[in-house]
Amino acid sequence: MLDADGSDAAIVEMPPGEATLAGAPEIHARRSEPRPEIWFRRRIRPLPALRELWAFRELTITLAERDLRVRYKQAALGVAWAVIAPVVMMVAFTVLFNRFAKVDTGGVPYALFSYLGLLPWTFFSGSVSNGGLSLVTNNELLNKLYCPREVFPIAAIADALVDLLIASCILLLLFPITGFAPKAQSYYLPLLLIVMIAFTLGVTLAVSAIVVYARDLRLVLPLAIQVGLFVTPVVYGASSISSSKAFLLVFSAINPLVSVIDGMRDTVLSGVAPNWMLLGVGAVSALVYLTGGFLLFKHLETGMADIA
Amino acid sequence: MLDGTILAEEIWKRFRLDERPTYLQDRIAGARDRMRGRSGDSWRWALNDVSLRAQPGESWALVGANGAGKSTLLKIISRVMYQTAGRLEMAGRVGALIEVRAGLTPLLTGRENIYLTGSIMGLPRREVARRFDEIVEFAELEKAVDRQVKYYSSGMQMRLGFSVAAHLQPDILLVDEVLAVGDASFQQRCLDQIRKVLNEGTTLLFVSHDLAAVEATCANGIWLHNGEAQTAGPIREVLSAYRGSVEGDAKSRADIEGLVRVSQVEAAAPDGGLAKTGGPLDVSLTVHSDKSYRAWIYLGITEGAATPIFLLNPGRETMLEPGETRVRCSISSLPLPAGRYYLWGGIYRNWTQGEELIGWQPLTEFDAYGPELDAAPRAVVRLSPIHVDSEWEVDAA
Repeated sequence: MLDADGSDAAIVEMPPGEATLAGAPEIHARRSEPRPEIWFRRRIRPLPALRELWAFRELTITLAERDLRVRYKQAALGVAWAVIAPVVMMVAFTVLFNRFAKVDTGGVPYALFSYLGLLPWTFFSGSVSNGGLSLVTNNELLNKLYCPREVFPIAAIADALVDLLIASCILLLLFPITGFAPKAQSYYLPLLLIVMIAFTLGVTLAVSAIVVYARDLRLVLPLAIQVGLFVTPVVYGASSISSSKAFLLVFSAINPLVSVIDGMRDTVLSGVAPNWMLLGVGAVSALVYLTGGFLLFKHLETGMADIA
Repeated sequence: MLDGTILAEEIWKRFRLDERPTYLQDRIAGARDRMRGRSGDSWRWALNDVSLRAQPGESWALVGANGAGKSTLLKIISRVMYQTAGRLEMAGRVGALIEVRAGLTPLLTGRENIYLTGSIMGLPRREVARRFDEIVEFAELEKAVDRQVKYYSSGMQMRLGFSVAAHLQPDILLVDEVLAVGDASFQQRCLDQIRKVLNEGTTLLFVSHDLAAVEATCANGIWLHNGEAQTAGPIREVLSAYRGSVEGDAKSRADIEGLVRVSQVEAAAPDGGLAKTGGPLDVSLTVHSDKSYRAWIYLGITEGAATPIFLLNPGRETMLEPGETRVRCSISSLPLPAGRYYLWGGIYRNWTQGEELIGWQPLTEFDAYGPELDAAPRAVVRLSPIHVDSEWEVDAA
């Protein structure tokens, strides 16, 4: 809020500044700026912020429910919509992409291989595109009454999570069709999902806050997501682009989804433990994204109502 | 601190002067300017050292012209917006009716909107469910509650918004210039509901241009002008100061000249002294005209704004010949209690709707002395401050 450069100087200069107003006696008694000690400074304290967020959990649920209702009320296909997008992509990749560029899946049917990549990716892209615009689309609501504003992007992520669950049901068909069985190591999945959600949350929070301040970014967003699909190992395997270990680690640090998708394929399809080194880097990176995104969000939140 | 307390001390708020939506290119341009050592920022102070201390159960009105900072102050108190400087402390749940749309989501039904608003106010679902019927009944939306809000008329939306905000037992209720949308009977019911809520101990902050409703509802007020608090205190003092300023503004703008010119306007008792309640008042003015007109002359007595307490006209056309015409109007018994009043007037070429020779505007002001205006019970809106003599007998039967 407080632009350090300009306004601090103005505060220091205030007494002479007031003297120039001497021509108007009733104005003279008034200050042209607030006393320096009462300027509002937002202190971001993570723990109270989290406690407050917990207190508003019911609102988050209501918002998520509302968005789901609105979305499925408008779309003729209703709930099926959550399934259609990843399935169509999966079919397209299997029929077309896999035919031209033979992907090394390690003996796993490509349909399964790509669908397991598409699930986290669809979750991520859905969260970022809906959650990223959530503050702009809910403008009316968030200018009505106070609530911690992160409830809006978080509600969008909750919706994406519901979609993910629905879309996962397709696996129940896909495994029998391909004649392939999930491996016991699938119990690692919750760990992978946590990393995925942390990373998604961080990016969505940051994007949603930035879009309020730079509206034209919403036009760039779909493009960025499209590019993202190809810098994430969705249609190909992470290890197939480079055999260098260092490269994979850096890749995973920049994009934690690399470690998530790679881990899912390792555990569910190949039946081995996730690559801990890769997943560790991904988890730390996701935590950095989450912390950074949250702090940026809280920092930008103060001025949102002024320009919204 | 008790629930319902508002402590807002030395609140300042500034906005950027260019309030258009911001784009990335603007951010880049701004950053470039700052790096070159130029501060491209220009600010406007929307609130300038405003303080408000409300105890639970108190009712405060914010009055002032458009752009005076009333809504900004409400938004800061509802914590939707952050103050630039100053201290704000509050306790309790806040219910707000700030936009005409009342924050309703058009794609959801009325029912879903009620629950959504409840959860923003921090109420658990079962609490909302308990009051659900009451809310729907008050808003008269029994048949429409399961329809999407986008198919509601603006009146229906406003009724729903008000009903939700007022029935969910807020400790602090903020109402901003929204009752204007409803019809007269709904407005009256809103005021009744506000009175009920006040009696239950809710603190009210009320913004309205309907000064009669303000006076009926609020015990205290703040008059904001260009973001500064001009007066704060008992509502009658605040309103009379505000009304006086409205007239002053109007007068300084208007030189009484249209197709004809008016001069030497006077309003006083026949002996030239102060007008007295129940006594005579003489109004005189001189009309200068270049041509001859058949004109209708209207006079009105107001409390400051353009809406008169009562209107006067001769009931026939007046011939204005080229040159000066002297017009005199005598009121035999002035039904006004003590206070400052304003004489407005207009001269028209045809009956009521014709071409304006002089547009409706303030001509002069005068004071009346006599009994004070009787106070009205809370939430009872008096249309006009008229004084009527009466004698009472109260006997035990």
